[in-house]
Amino acid sequence: MSSSPSVVEASGVGKVFGSGTAAVTALTGIDLSIAPGEFISLIGPSGCGKSTLLRLIGDLTGPTSGQLTINGKSPEEARLDRDYGIVFQKATLLDWRTVTKNVELPLEIMNQSERDGRAARMLDLVQLRDFAEHYPWQLSGGMQQRVAIARALVFEPSLLLMDEPFGALDEMTRELMQQEVLRIWGETNTTVVFVTHSIPEAVFLSTRVVVMSARPGRISSVIETTLPHPRDVETRESPEFYARVTEVREALRQGEST
Amino acid sequence: MTDEQRTNRIFTDSRKKQLLSIAVVLLVFVFCWEMYKVVWQALGWIRPVRPDDTTMPHTWDMVIELFRPVRRGGQLLIIDLTTRSFFTLREALAGFVLGGLFGFSLSVVFVRSRLLERAFMPYVVASQTIPIIAIAPMVVVWGGRADLPQWMAVAVISAYLTFFPVAINTLRGLRSPDPNAMELMRSYAASPNEILWKVQVPAALPYIFTALKVSATASIIGALIGELPAGFGEGLGRALLTFSSQFGARSEKLYATVIVTAIVGIIFVGTVIFIEKRVIKQRRLDEHELIGRAV
Repeated sequence: MSSSPSVVEASGVGKVFGSGTAAVTALTGIDLSIAPGEFISLIGPSGCGKSTLLRLIGDLTGPTSGQLTINGKSPEEARLDRDYGIVFQKATLLDWRTVTKNVELPLEIMNQSERDGRAARMLDLVQLRDFAEHYPWQLSGGMQQRVAIARALVFEPSLLLMDEPFGALDEMTRELMQQEVLRIWGETNTTVVFVTHSIPEAVFLSTRVVVMSARPGRISSVIETTLPHPRDVETRESPEFYARVTEVREALRQGEST
Repeated sequence: MTDEQRTNRIFTDSRKKQLLSIAVVLLVFVFCWEMYKVVWQALGWIRPVRPDDTTMPHTWDMVIELFRPVRRGGQLLIIDLTTRSFFTLREALAGFVLGGLFGFSLSVVFVRSRLLERAFMPYVVASQTIPIIAIAPMVVVWGGRADLPQWMAVAVISAYLTFFPVAINTLRGLRSPDPNAMELMRSYAASPNEILWKVQVPAALPYIFTALKVSATASIIGALIGELPAGFGEGLGRALLTFSSQFGARSEKLYATVIVTAIVGIIFVGTVIFIEKRVIKQRRLDEHELIGRAV
């Protein structure tokens, strides 16, 4: 283990898909340091490589250049140590398993005992205790996504990766889910990396918003949100919130024009 | 009425409707057959099929034939055919299990190695274009030289027909999980076997059962055809062969045997559907289950 206190430390990270004339540079020169307990949003237009960056952190794909460490380890070591939980845009629950059995899945694979108690505690956390024995297809989209969050957190990873987790939800559900995620983040000390293309979502959730731009994918600016916690409906209507939203929007526009 | 009672009631109602509709279709078949005889005889038509009692016996005569002795002083045809059915069913079942396991194993190998899939798939496909009539004598002779019981050789022939649908459908099923589900397993550092048994195989079950329904009937065909070169007289295949050689003179026996063979097939497929409903009962109604209901 290195002495670095960062959860994620990237320097000069790049990713090229394909080779020769067909090569596409998805990411270039990514420098990013994420401290424990931060809530980081990656925002940018399609093709800016925000999902690719998340997948690099999760070792679901490998970088073609630069240095990337997770908790001081290589992404592969971190994955093998089960350092992170991940939530995708689709809940990706297993249809043949009940809600409880879905949440217990990672514990089964990690051979961890006391599954019942831990799954039940996670279902409490996402407020789905009454649906423990339901099957995924009996739940609404928002509830399914809450199960996915419970599943990602049940083995208490230090890092939570979320890839546009609320992208498929309607606006009302989406705002409720954002509130939920902030509450869970507050209760668990998890570091979160959150990919989104919604500016208000990024501002509302994050401690820092990482603004990215496309062709090639890179970080164009990083904005501290500095909104007070706890954040709620009031926050969304505050002048500071609008100021931050405007700031991110302008950063996005500037990123595009350079 | 509780929910459960209501569900049961709906279930038995639809069950009754199903049985009724099956009976209606049977009656329509019988009616058409008999009407054809009446009309064609009255008009003196002989095309496409001569309507005389030798080529087209009355439907009731086919059934009555079941309750006549096979030969003078012999046992009743239905008793004889039932015994033969069990014999053929044993071969078919052995072939079904053998072919199913082989097909499943093949699909697991293929899903893990694109290279092996590409290398072997043409041969797997080719194997199914070779007529079973050509394969059957080889297997019987080889089996005989290896001192295997003949019914086992027939089971191998039956397996030859059954492994293919299982291999192809299972392969598709093993590839059916969402890519995110596979990445999720990767994020848990799950082993290939854990991914196979916890994600891929459960996802493939509807595909596997669709294949097993096809294989159930194919295994019976394989057993029937396998019995012919095997040269033993205990199965339905031999009965079909004997009675078809007498078709020109007395056809009721062949028709009766065909009916019994069809019933054996229906029972086999029905058993597969029965097991399927218990194994994947908690799933959402999807296209595979609808196919299951249609069969």
